Amino acid sequence: MADFDHVPRHGRVLPAWSLVGWKWISRNPAAAIVPVMLPFFFLYFLRLISPPEYFPLAVAGAMLYTTQNIGSWCLTDAAANRIELHLQELFVASALGKVRYLVGIGVSNLIPAVPALIVEAIILAVVWPVPPAAWLVIIGCVIVLWIVFSAIGLAISTRIQSQREVWPIGNLVFSTLGVLAPLYYPLSILPPAWQAVAQFLPSTYAAKLVQGALEITPATGDEMVLDAVLLVGSAAVALAIALRIYRWRDP
Amino acid sequence: MAFPRLHGVGVFLGTSMRVQLHDPLAIATSAIVEAILLIFVWILAPALLPFALIGALVYSAFLIGQHVLNEAAYIRIDHKINELYLASPLSPEAYFVGLAGGILTAYLPTIVALLVLVEIVAPLSLAAWGALVLVLLATWAFSASLAYVISTLFKDMKAIWPYASILTNVLGVVPPVFYPLSLWPPEWQAVALVLPTSSAAALVEAAAGLQSLDPGAFLLAAGSLGVEAAAAFLFGIWWAHRSAREV
Repeated sequence: MADFDHVPRHGRVLPAWSLVGWKWISRNPAAAIVPVMLPFFFLYFLRLISPPEYFPLAVAGAMLYTTQNIGSWCLTDAAANRIELHLQELFVASALGKVRYLVGIGVSNLIPAVPALIVEAIILAVVWPVPPAAWLVIIGCVIVLWIVFSAIGLAISTRIQSQREVWPIGNLVFSTLGVLAPLYYPLSILPPAWQAVAQFLPSTYAAKLVQGALEITPATGDEMVLDAVLLVGSAAVALAIALRIYRWRDP
Repeated sequence: MAFPRLHGVGVFLGTSMRVQLHDPLAIATSAIVEAILLIFVWILAPALLPFALIGALVYSAFLIGQHVLNEAAYIRIDHKINELYLASPLSPEAYFVGLAGGILTAYLPTIVALLVLVEIVAPLSLAAWGALVLVLLATWAFSASLAYVISTLFKDMKAIWPYASILTNVLGVVPPVFYPLSLWPPEWQAVALVLPTSSAAALVEAAAGLQSLDPGAFLLAAGSLGVEAAAAFLFGIWWAHRSAREV
């Protein structure tokens, strides 16, 4: 063991996993382009069918939807690492803890999403005046959703038995969560039962905060503080559930 | 034996169907994108729901064809059973047609569920039903053939999804499949009538009386879809024979 004493054991997780994320998109250009394009397919569709006044709201929603999708990519990546490449056995045996692995997978999958988030932010700035405080709210919401959905993706990946299950389960979980939360439309136009279900999702509060900060839907200061508290609270609950499901051991 | 050699296609279709039926979650969740787009339309533009439902049917037929891409690649790259099949009396052509047919049969419940919704929201005439069946078969034949050909070009499963995603979105979400042709820019409407998915949707919507197509537009849509489906299917058969190899 003395031979390995000089090997650094701390502080290399983020650059290492960032490199993994960059290598993936540099070797597969389509994998870099698709995450950028996907929200725009939906945006184009919504632009054609929905009232024009909802478009800025849909652009802001696309930023949150893109962030949610990172969870689905984390699920795919972590499942491949564990089931196909048997890398999780190596990680479990190494000094890499489960929280660092979560952060690493989250960071490496954030990289392909960043170009999409930047383009969406530019479109938002073009179609709607965005005050500096609203940018801070958007960035805060993106960070919270990124952490929560990366954890959900990674947690589910540790329970999956076969690579064939990745697509249907990922599709079911992340698409359902993406549609239930009012990312592309105001919460108020949804049927009452749907509104009630949406109250359990962190993305709902992120969407309400962003829409309120942009003044697309009216919200008082007190309401926004409450939404922020509920966002953090529901995110903490979701994170606790994800960590409970998460299995950090040899397959 | 004469071309195309389809000996054993029935047996392999049954095998392929049973493999798919072992994965009920995949079947149950296969129509999620259609469901999302239908929900968008229901909430934001309820008047367009009949168009969106017919579009969802066309998109489902296209998506079921696209499942061949993943499945053929999975069998060849991950399981390597492809080598076993090709060493057997099953011909490569029968392998392609059986695989695609089996997937279609297993995923039919999603089509049936959407047909029930269409009948509830916008009941179809007999002529519209006939047009719908023909159009769905043509869309599926085009999509499955394209998917099989593309599947033979990959060496890594992880690299497939971005291309599959681009294909389904570019042909299914962007053009007027879930919304009427009239909402597309007029100068691009001829392009929509040439694309297999949007031409299929336009033909059924015209047969159902939801929108009108002038004779030129009708001929363009029907001709394009027919030619594309037949050409893609024949090319798929030829390609299956030509690309048959181990690994």
